[in-house]
Order: sequence, then structure tokens, then C-alpha cells
Amino acid sequence: MRNAGRLLDILDRMEKGPVTDEKEFDTRYVAANVKRLVKEYEIKFDGVNLINTDDAMADRCFQAGLELAEKAGVLCTSNGRRLVWSRREILDTIKYAPSSIVIGTSHDAHREYRRDPEDPRPPTVIGGPIGQTLPEDLFLPIMQSYIQEPIVDTIITGTLETVYGRDPRTKSPWEILVGWREAELVFEAARRAGRQGIAIGCVENAASDIPELSATSYGGFRPTDWHHMAMISELKTNYELLNKLTHLVRTDSILHSFYNPIYGGWAGGAEGVAVITVAGEILLQMVYMTTTHSQCPTHPFFMSDTAPEILWSISLSCQALTRNTPFMLDVLTSPVGGPCTKTLLYESAAVATAATVSGVARLMGVRSTCGKFKGHSSGLEARFNGEVGHATAGMSRAQANEIVKQIVPKYKDLLGTEPKGKRFDEAYDMWTLRPTAEWLGIYDEVKDELGRLGIPFK
Amino acid sequence: MKTFEEIAEAMSQAVATGDDTQAAAVAREALAAGVEPQRVFEQIIAPTLTEIGDRFQRLEIFLPEMMMAADAAKAVFAVLQPAIEFGKTSLASQGRIVIGTVAGDVHDIGKNMVASMLEVNGFEVINLGCDVPPDAFLRAAREKQADIIAMSSLLTTSLPYMKDVLEVLRESGEQGRFKVMVGGGPVTAEWAQQVGADGYGKDAAEAVTIARRLLQRQ
Repeated sequence: MRNAGRLLDILDRMEKGPVTDEKEFDTRYVAANVKRLVKEYEIKFDGVNLINTDDAMADRCFQAGLELAEKAGVLCTSNGRRLVWSRREILDTIKYAPSSIVIGTSHDAHREYRRDPEDPRPPTVIGGPIGQTLPEDLFLPIMQSYIQEPIVDTIITGTLETVYGRDPRTKSPWEILVGWREAELVFEAARRAGRQGIAIGCVENAASDIPELSATSYGGFRPTDWHHMAMISELKTNYELLNKLTHLVRTDSILHSFYNPIYGGWAGGAEGVAVITVAGEILLQMVYMTTTHSQCPTHPFFMSDTAPEILWSISLSCQALTRNTPFMLDVLTSPVGGPCTKTLLYESAAVATAATVSGVARLMGVRSTCGKFKGHSSGLEARFNGEVGHATAGMSRAQANEIVKQIVPKYKDLLGTEPKGKRFDEAYDMWTLRPTAEWLGIYDEVKDELGRLGIPFK
Repeated sequence: MKTFEEIAEAMSQAVATGDDTQAAAVAREALAAGVEPQRVFEQIIAPTLTEIGDRFQRLEIFLPEMMMAADAAKAVFAVLQPAIEFGKTSLASQGRIVIGTVAGDVHDIGKNMVASMLEVNGFEVINLGCDVPPDAFLRAAREKQADIIAMSSLLTTSLPYMKDVLEVLRESGEQGRFKVMVGGGPVTAEWAQQVGADGYGKDAAEAVTIARRLLQRQ
């Protein structure tokens, strides 16, 4: 419980920080500062290159994000106070952030470690349809399809559409039940796949604090699993999230936090998204004491993170952070495509390549169809996402940039078209729990094609 | 005294750059020059805001610029409104919309984008914020005599609260009184139809189209 002391400091800041109107926070502290910092630190997307190869710009992006973190802090919307830290406090804290951890148990235990840009060691592969609604009767087989993939090191659960056939409803007793249902179904999926000790990212049905507080307890999710803490976009938290934090610290759970800035929102375009992502990841460490840091910048119209400008943003912010902090970062692959589409695989390849060569510790996903279409996800895309990560580990950013520039035109025009593909029970044989010949054929075809573009699949 | 063309250029520039002080000042100049408020709206504000909305749709500008432009346009209306003949309705309104993110959900940037797009396209928007309970939507819609209730959610577990609003409207016999449009990550056109919503917008631009269509039917 090494964070117990820091927790009190955070809760004190929550109570004593400067009172700030939310609109003033959005416009003055966030939007105006981001705009100024992008200009001052000369952060510039040229619209052509999709993976940053300029170390100096990555370091400037880190400095810009650090300044934003210091100037804005985190707004607690429950009491209208900002949690703020001085630059020295931030730097003194982030240098001791975790850079390695063992998750899971027994022979399913897995050691995660931080990586550098162009690091030859492969990233951890997280499989699972995070944020995607799954029909209750398909939840178990879908999760099993991810867990059974040997390349998957740890998993993250999807969201249940119903609980015992009823609508789960935020902040109601149904939410407690859905948290427990998630636990019992994913444990059973792990048992059936023969990987009972695999670490699980959870509680994914915890829209409020209620399921996290109930399902992370005796008989539920374990301290060796990793537990999700969100930051509200942009740079906000609230009592419910801090309730989760307090419970997770007191149960000595592994903390995993994510921050999803919105492209076109308060941070503006690609450059602003890169800067605010850096600030957000720094502040996740300050406010949630997180062990692993996730990001998924989101396009306002497509809901994906696969648009070219967002790929560049991901690459720059990851390089900024991995070059200047010990953070273990991950990126969620969130394509518009669904199972049985080539689009899904092209988009996944672009994100996984950009993230891997930019130094992420973990590749997460795939959240197929951006999570929009129920049950449109399968373990095969996690296998593919991981294979791209393993193949591109050690690749130069310059080479990766040239490859990604060839991949993006294959899907760019489809981003607004919702190519949802097929539901799990049409993409997989439900008796053998293996991909259909159609889905496997598409996967093989795209792998061959990307291999010819220079991705050295193992 | 400035010509109409000079006023139009200055006001359009002030609104497009989100300079509410300058926009209000030019509006006062317009009144002093005897320009009809209706003409200011139809020939200056409406086309300027339409262009702002189009630029956001192309992602040439972003939420802060769009909101500032909407605020600058409001500053113009605040100056012009007292000069309108008694009994006339608001200059800008193509319809009044109550909007919010539903209970249990604190995601509000997407909803704010929709709200701003509606505003710059001439709708009067009452933004209730996020984590809005069903009864708050209904109370606001009744109090403000809204034409449309617009609800957003990014969470599956908050979708039942959208259904609650629709059910209460049915039970209270107010189904025809307010049009209901829905949107957000897990919401699809099929789901919207299934629960009886009048419209679904997949993004901010489509929300404007749907709102216009819903009010044309009335």
C-alpha cells in the first residue's frame, strides 16, 4: 500500500485547491494555454509525416505538456476546486513513477516494463474489447477468444449489454450486479482457456464508483488484476473517481489510468492533442498515482484514433513521455472497422506500428467499430494487433513512418462509413471458438500485404 | 457614418474571431446607422455563423473558436433585441433546444460540440450540462417551452435514462409536445428508433440536419 501516504496529500489538495468555474477552466486554463504552448514550443504537424522522427520536437512537446500540467492542474467537478502542483513537485513525483511491474499469478504472471522509442523489446499485448458493449450471451465466448490467444499477455473486459437479461443502470443496484457478473463471466472464460492466473483489466462495467467498490473485494477482482481509473476530458476528475482511487489504494490494487483527449475539442488539433495528452498523462500520475498510463485520442466525428492527424499525435506524445519519464504507456487501438473487414486490420496496423516505435509499454485492444456495434469484436484482431507490435519492435521511426504512410490511404476514405463487418457469432465458429475461414482468409491476406510493405511478421 | 457593407465586414470579422466586445460595439454602430436588426441577422450574422459551422465540420477550426463565435453572436443579439418591436420573437431562433448528457455520464465535450453547432446554426440552446436526471430534462423543456429535447450518452449503462425520458413523455401525454433526439458513442439509429426517439445524429453536423428536419415536420 505504498500510495497510502500520497493519497492523503491528494485528498487534501482536492479540498483546498483554488475554486475555479468550469467554463473558466475549459477556456482559460485549458484551451488558451494549449493554444499558447503549441505556438511557443513550436509544435507542428506537417500533414505528411505520420510518425514523428524529430527528438527535439518530442522534448519540446514534453516541456509544453509539463507547463500545461502545472498551469491547469486537474479540476474536481464535484466541488469546483483545482488540484494543483508546482513544477518541482511534479518533477520530483514523476521521476519515481513505476517503470516495471508483475501482473497476474502463477505461470500466467507477466512482467511489464517501460520501453523507449525504437526499443527492440516487444510491448505487452493486452487483448480485449474495452468499451465495447457485448450481448450477455456472447460475453463469455468473446472474452475466451481473446484469452486463448498465446500472444495476449493480459486481458481487458468488454461491457455487458444486460445483466441477467435486465438493463444495467448507472448508480443503481443493477450496477453492483453487473460488476459482479463481469467478474464471474471473465473468470469462467479464463478457466475455460486454461489461464486462470491471467491478469484482468477491470472493472469495465464501473461507469460510476459503485461496481468498482463492490466487485473489487473478496471473491471478486484481485489485487493482481489491474484496475481502471479514468480522467474526464479534459483534465477533470470528480468524487466518484476519487472514491474509486481511495478504495483501490486501500485494497493495494494495481492502478491503471486512461486519458482520452478529444480531437477538435478544447485542445484543438493534432498539435494541441499531443500537448494535452502529455499533460494528462503527467497529471494521471499526480492525481491517481497510476502504475500504467493509457491514451486513446478520439476523433469527434469518427470516434476512432486511426485518423492520420491522430496517429501523429499519438506518436509525438508517446515519444515526449517515453524520452522524459519512466512511465509505462499504452495506446488503445480503436478502429472504425469491425471483424471480417480489411479496414479493421489496416487501422490496427497503423496504430500499433506508430505506438510501438514510439516506445509504448503496452498495446491495448482492439476496440473494433470504436465500440459502437454490439458484439462486433473478436480475439483475432488482438492477435493481429500484438503481432504488429512484436514485428515493429526495434524498427526505426523513419521506416515505420514510410510504412504507415502507405497503410493509411487503404482505409482513410472509409473512416466516416462505419464498416462494422460481422458480429462475433458470424466471424467465429461458436463450437470450436475459432475464426471462420472467411475471417482467417482476410487476416492472412492483409498480413501478406503488409509484409510486402515492410512489416516483418515473425 | 459607416456604410452597411463596412458594418457587415466589421461585425462578421468580430463574430468569426470570437471578439464579443467588438461585435457588440459594431452592433451599436449598426443601430445608430439605422440598420434594421432583422437585416443584421439575415445578412451578416446568419451567413457568418453558417461559415463557422462549416469550418468546424471540416475541422479547420475547433470547439473553442466555435464557442467564442457563438458567444460573440449572442453579444450582438443582446444589443439588437431591445430594438426589436414588442411582441416579436427572438431574432435568431430556429427553434429552442434543451440539451444535456444523461444521468450517470459525465462526458460532455461531444455534447458541447453539438450544442455549439446548433447555436451557430441559429438554434436557441439551453445546455443543462452533464449527469442530467430525466426529470431535469423534462422540467427544463416545460419551463423553457422547448421544441426539442436532445440527449447524449457515451455509456451503455446510462442509456436507460434516455428511455426514461421517452417513457415519461408517453405516460404524461406530452409525446407530441417535444421532439426528442439522441446521440453519443453507443447510440445507433436502430436503437433510437427502437426506443421511440424522433431523431438520431451520429455527430454534431448531423444533429443540426436532424433538428432542422424535426422542426420542419411540425
